[in-house]
Amino acid sequence: MTLSSKKRDSLKRNADLCIRCANCMAVCPVSRVTPLFPGPKHAGPGAERFRRPGELSVDEWVDLCIGCHLCDSVCPAGVPISELNLLAKAKSLDERGRPFRDWLLTHSYLYGWGGVLFSPLTNRLLRNSMVKRLLETILKIHRKSPLPDYQSPTFRQWFKGRSSRGGKKIAYFYGCFTNTNEIDVGKATVEVLEAIGFEVVLPPQDCCGLPMLGNGDFNGAIKKGRKNLSSLLRTIRSGMEVLYTSTSCGFMIKHEYAHLLELPGSEDLAKHTFELFEFLRTLKESGNLNFHFKKLPVKAGYFAPCHLRALGIGFPAFEILKLIPGLESKVIEADCCGMGGTFGFKKEKYEIAEEIGKDLREAIDRLNPELILTECEGCRLQIRHLTGLKVLHPIQILRDALRSSSDQEVFDVGDALKNKIGLKS
Amino acid sequence: MHYDLIIIGMGLSGLMAAKTALDLKKRVLLIGKGMGGLTLFSNTIDILGRIPENLNLKDGLFEWIKDHPEHPYSKIGVEGIEEALSSFISIFPPPYTFQSLNGRNAKLPTAIGTFRPTYLFPSTLAGGTYLKEGNTLIVGFKGFKDFYAGYMAKEFKCRHLTLSLQDEGRSELTATYLSRLMEKEGFRERIGSQIKNALKGESLVAMPPILGLRDPMDAKKHLEAITGVEVFEIPTLPPSLLGMRLFNRFKEYLLERGVDLLIGNKISKVQIKSALCEGIEVYHPPITRFYSADHFILATGRFIGGGLEAERERISETVFHLPVWSTRSQDKWFGENFFDDHPIHGFGISVDPSFRPLDSEGKPIFENVRVIGTILSGHHSLYEGSREGIEISTGYWGAKRLLE
Repeated sequence: MTLSSKKRDSLKRNADLCIRCANCMAVCPVSRVTPLFPGPKHAGPGAERFRRPGELSVDEWVDLCIGCHLCDSVCPAGVPISELNLLAKAKSLDERGRPFRDWLLTHSYLYGWGGVLFSPLTNRLLRNSMVKRLLETILKIHRKSPLPDYQSPTFRQWFKGRSSRGGKKIAYFYGCFTNTNEIDVGKATVEVLEAIGFEVVLPPQDCCGLPMLGNGDFNGAIKKGRKNLSSLLRTIRSGMEVLYTSTSCGFMIKHEYAHLLELPGSEDLAKHTFELFEFLRTLKESGNLNFHFKKLPVKAGYFAPCHLRALGIGFPAFEILKLIPGLESKVIEADCCGMGGTFGFKKEKYEIAEEIGKDLREAIDRLNPELILTECEGCRLQIRHLTGLKVLHPIQILRDALRSSSDQEVFDVGDALKNKIGLKS
Repeated sequence: MHYDLIIIGMGLSGLMAAKTALDLKKRVLLIGKGMGGLTLFSNTIDILGRIPENLNLKDGLFEWIKDHPEHPYSKIGVEGIEEALSSFISIFPPPYTFQSLNGRNAKLPTAIGTFRPTYLFPSTLAGGTYLKEGNTLIVGFKGFKDFYAGYMAKEFKCRHLTLSLQDEGRSELTATYLSRLMEKEGFRERIGSQIKNALKGESLVAMPPILGLRDPMDAKKHLEAITGVEVFEIPTLPPSLLGMRLFNRFKEYLLERGVDLLIGNKISKVQIKSALCEGIEVYHPPITRFYSADHFILATGRFIGGGLEAERERISETVFHLPVWSTRSQDKWFGENFFDDHPIHGFGISVDPSFRPLDSEGKPIFENVRVIGTILSGHHSLYEGSREGIEISTGYWGAKRLLE
């Protein structure tokens, strides 16, 4: 663990700000579904008083913190509860050793290309129940967990084959998942940005490091952060802003690089890094966004992922989606999907993730939507798994509502578009 | 980002002001450094606990306003308070709604075995008004340390049953976990039959407020069908699920109407130009965001909410640095009992009839800033039993007088 000792001390000192009000105990999604986790008040500032450097951890349950940041946001005293949990988790894992499974789940950027290269085979294998049983027995990855498909070619490869359209240059941090597992999110982003006059640039980029951070591997996260910073700082110094579509990667780059990991240059980068819809909203506010949408009569549920909430920018995608005529979107009244990045894949945590997801599934049932929209890839995997519904990134539906159509289509545009986004397949 | 109105503080008064502004179709940002204090309180709606028992609320309020010209209620009047309360109740349609006991204060049981007066209470608490010696079985859970059924039973001269959930894997239970269990039909059937078997002629069953977050009335009715007697909740220590139900319902209502909600964002600076507030800055490491608005409402509460801060020699208001009004000098800040008429509860912000903050000469300090909720001067809400009444009525009228 290479977090600066000054930073670590300041986080730990803040534990004493806790006034024991229990706001955090009211919102924690984990302690609501299992008594195995005593809740943020006890696990964070409470247990902190019993943690001494050099003494062994006695709080293995701290590993059950899902890292959603809800406790941090509701705390009136400003205690960094989830960060205290993360430090304790890292310490406990340092002592116990990290399972190979955790390494595998946090290093998909190393083998993702393999998944892509042999995607027909990989995907079939990952769906095979024998393979899933083996994964569970050997690697402790739960056999029912929603492992993602790989797609070929990668988003980056797809992008390389395109010719530039010109316009003001803007950089895009697409993230590993868009690159190898959901390349349409990247395609939609490029299409929309080009439609409003930008030329998209893909700066060299690596995994943001959030999966490692979430699994208590500060060292690994810092390495990734340094690497991305050296590339992205060059990008912003050449006059470009950086946009991201994954709210998890974005939260890591914009806030954790600076606030938690204290990486040099990260404050500069934060000032020039924006969530895609936050950026579109700013354009709209200044009167520089002129979308011509077609009617899209779809009933959609919108789910705000935890890292979007932690970004503190409101729900910009939800605001922009309101501009699409016919699209009836409603906020899904739930706070956590249960996936927690890699949490829901783990054998010992899968049941907890499912239980957390139940609240979300019931909220979705109440809305009865045709489609779910959410910015986080983890949430999308989990919601598909929980509901069987079609789940997209909001930019995909925005792109579909923008796509030009012939005059004929205008009369039957609803069904035509529904076909395009796969609702009628 | 520019708004019609920015409301600072997410307690009951801020939520009520946001509801009122959104009903008037305004663009609203609601920002709180946490999620407000609703989970700290029992969330029965106290209007005025100090009314003599023979008076109904309306007459009691008339008398109170006559005798307390500086009280926030005096800026609103009895009819105004009633209008604000109906606006509040309107977002809680049955089955989980708020009611009074024939327009008078009801005495509801507490988790320390006493009774306290309150005006409006949610439907799951109604059974508490019938509690009498011997007629109630008080049900607790082993390992749930926020509710001691045995202690209450002794005080109320009733019997108790402490259920053990040994199969649940851990010796300590939390309120949210119990409420999650209670949302499951199978669990209700299991404990329902245990309760039924333990009844010895009681006509009521009291429980901690754990009848589920979303549909507590369903859980209540199901348990009543199994046990054959009325089931009710007794409020207890934080985290208050009664508060969560209230907060979640407000959140749902406000989001449906397009509020922008920033939970967990502390204001680092306000931008002032002569008598106008132009915007607020929020420091979210490592960046600072700026939000502007035509109008601002301050609803940050007193010491518990963080709206007021006590230093060694002075009390200050934390966002706009408004002058804090008190009749007493520093050597008289101290008192024996916090819940009594303690001098510290006398501090607050003085406002004009449209809730604009006033300077020491009684002149408005800002044109476009309003102050509402318990941070106002002129009341001792804990002692008076008026906390929620002040929050709801000043929240409603603070926004309404500003925007209409």
